[in-house]
Amino acid sequence: MVNLLIATLLLPLLTAAAGVVDLPRKVKDALMLGGLAATFALCLAVARRFLSGAMPGALGEALRVDGLSALVLVLSGFVGLLAATYGAGYLHRNEARGLVTPRMRREFYGLLPGYVFAMLLVAMSNNLGVMWIAVELTTLVSVFFVTFHDRDTSLEAAWKFLVLGSLGLGFALLGTVLLFAAGQGHLGEGMPALNWTRFMQAAPALHPFTLRLGVVFALIGYGTKAGLAPMHTWKPDAYREAPSPAVVLMAVGMLNGALYCILRIHLISRAALGPGFSSGLLLLLGLLSVLIAVPFIVIQWNLKRLLAYSSIEHVGIMAVGVGLGAEAAVFGALLHMTYHSIAKPLGLLSAGTLAQLHSSSDFSRIGSGSFTRAPIASALFVLAALMLTGCPPFGLFFSEMMILRAGLIGPHVTATAIFLAALVVLFCGFALQVGRIVLGPPRDRAERRVPFPERLDLGTATTIGAAVLAVVSGLYLPAPLLSLIRAATGVVWGAP
Amino acid sequence: MTGDILILCAAGMLVTAYLLVGQKALFTAIRLFGVQSLFLGLVAATIAVASGRHALLVTAALTVALKTVLIPWFLMRTIDRIGIHREIEPVLNVPVSLLVCVGLTVVGYRVSTGFPEGASGVSHHLIGVALSMLFIGLFVMVTRKKAITQILALLTVENAVFLVAVGVTSGMPLVVELGISFDVILAVLILGVLVHRIVDRFESMDVSRLSKLKG
Repeated sequence: MVNLLIATLLLPLLTAAAGVVDLPRKVKDALMLGGLAATFALCLAVARRFLSGAMPGALGEALRVDGLSALVLVLSGFVGLLAATYGAGYLHRNEARGLVTPRMRREFYGLLPGYVFAMLLVAMSNNLGVMWIAVELTTLVSVFFVTFHDRDTSLEAAWKFLVLGSLGLGFALLGTVLLFAAGQGHLGEGMPALNWTRFMQAAPALHPFTLRLGVVFALIGYGTKAGLAPMHTWKPDAYREAPSPAVVLMAVGMLNGALYCILRIHLISRAALGPGFSSGLLLLLGLLSVLIAVPFIVIQWNLKRLLAYSSIEHVGIMAVGVGLGAEAAVFGALLHMTYHSIAKPLGLLSAGTLAQLHSSSDFSRIGSGSFTRAPIASALFVLAALMLTGCPPFGLFFSEMMILRAGLIGPHVTATAIFLAALVVLFCGFALQVGRIVLGPPRDRAERRVPFPERLDLGTATTIGAAVLAVVSGLYLPAPLLSLIRAATGVVWGAP
Repeated sequence: MTGDILILCAAGMLVTAYLLVGQKALFTAIRLFGVQSLFLGLVAATIAVASGRHALLVTAALTVALKTVLIPWFLMRTIDRIGIHREIEPVLNVPVSLLVCVGLTVVGYRVSTGFPEGASGVSHHLIGVALSMLFIGLFVMVTRKKAITQILALLTVENAVFLVAVGVTSGMPLVVELGISFDVILAVLILGVLVHRIVDRFESMDVSRLSKLKG
């Protein structure tokens, strides 16, 4: 029998290969959606096998699934399917306007499943080298998404993205090499020497100075991919230029994947150097990310950039949760990751539809009163904004409360207070921006209508589906998913 | 004997990094990067022969093939096609840049004393040079404007990381090394294509013109 993990990786890869071939549109849609739906099913099967007992690794333990991996795997599979479904609808809309070239079609159907493959590889990698290679793969695939629409600004965004991303990954690689150097003589030989599990076993014997240097470089490196401030500057540009379905993959897939890498490094550091070192760094970077998002959200001029800064805020919240160093806060951070993976796509998909209807995501082109032109997308965007700013009764409210509560009874009260203040201002800023485009009367007669009126097509249907899921998940989290989050907390916090 | 060769090669890498800082002709800069990678290959080969770790010979061969031959050839072809051969005046002039780099080298060597091999011996020099090159690469990246120079700075950082890998560890596992090389070459290819398109659009490869996206 083929190993379940290998099958989960092969399926999106085959889907990507099929996507490059020239076939009729309906066949291509069916292949991509079918392939990614089956991939999601396999991810769920992996999580189920994990929950029901031991899940065997593969390739000499280079691939391994524990609680954290299983959670990220399920979220990645979900987001991959969502992006593909919306993506098919997105491409149809552009096709109807004659905007789609054969190059775009090939790239889209090939790259999207390819990206899913790289995300899943990150999530199940136990080998730090394989992990690095997989993260670099997501970066290289993303570049094609950023240049997808081939505008002047796409080139600028792609250049900044690739240079900053490569530099970050260079740092992450140096970090990995230094971690490896710190364990010389204790890790064994060959490929398994880079296994995370080996590092954890050898933790007390690792050389402290080399390790510390390695942890700093690796956290900065993977922090660049996650979009933690001050290494976040590629994010708004890339979000604005890439097509919305691809942004979903970046905003959730890459973010979760990079956070997964950060957590792995954090755990090695904690086992070897004690809890203070990397937690302090994460708390600092997380707090900085939340604070830096504040002014840019208040003065924002573009819908997708607004969501990029919201992403920076949320990854900051997760980093703060982990950095606070309390079990409840870690649970809150992982719960936040889960809810963010459900709510952020809703925001991006509805914003994507608004941008597509107005042929631009700039506020100046969308104008005010979008509700009169695109009621469904506008309403869903307002809903997403409420969720993303942490309003009750939605999921992100509960996870944020959990982190705040753990912070206020812990040793980092000042940091938590600053964090809370930033969240309040962010809420106001976001509400202001959303009100600006959605509410109010259209500026003039011409603005009452859009050239391409909103229709109940595949893209809109997917967005509505995502909204239903996001609302329901806030009220009722399925028991297996909750056990997964608990298991992941067990991995990050120590004893299960 | 082995130690002398290693130190000589490491010194050679550092010298090429300095020359890269002082260089405005892009062709020469690319050749300098090729020489730097050749030294890196020599370091790996020397360690491989001296310690009998033959997997490192593959690393050495791969480094020379990719970074001394293939990548320089690709970059030269790129600038030949777009016909831009010189870096413009950098933000900091050359003498000041070189002084800053001396400072960075001191910092690099200072940090390298914390490693378990201590402040003596061959690996001290290898780590010291590697960290200095890392800092110099970052410095070039922020002070230079031509896209090709930025790619070279990125590759210098990459070389520094590999020098640490062969100098301090017994070499990364081969599969991982192959994967990393593959990713690096892909990244350079994509960057090269981007340079082409940037020049087509903006009629310049001055990346400081890429400044529409703010806020």
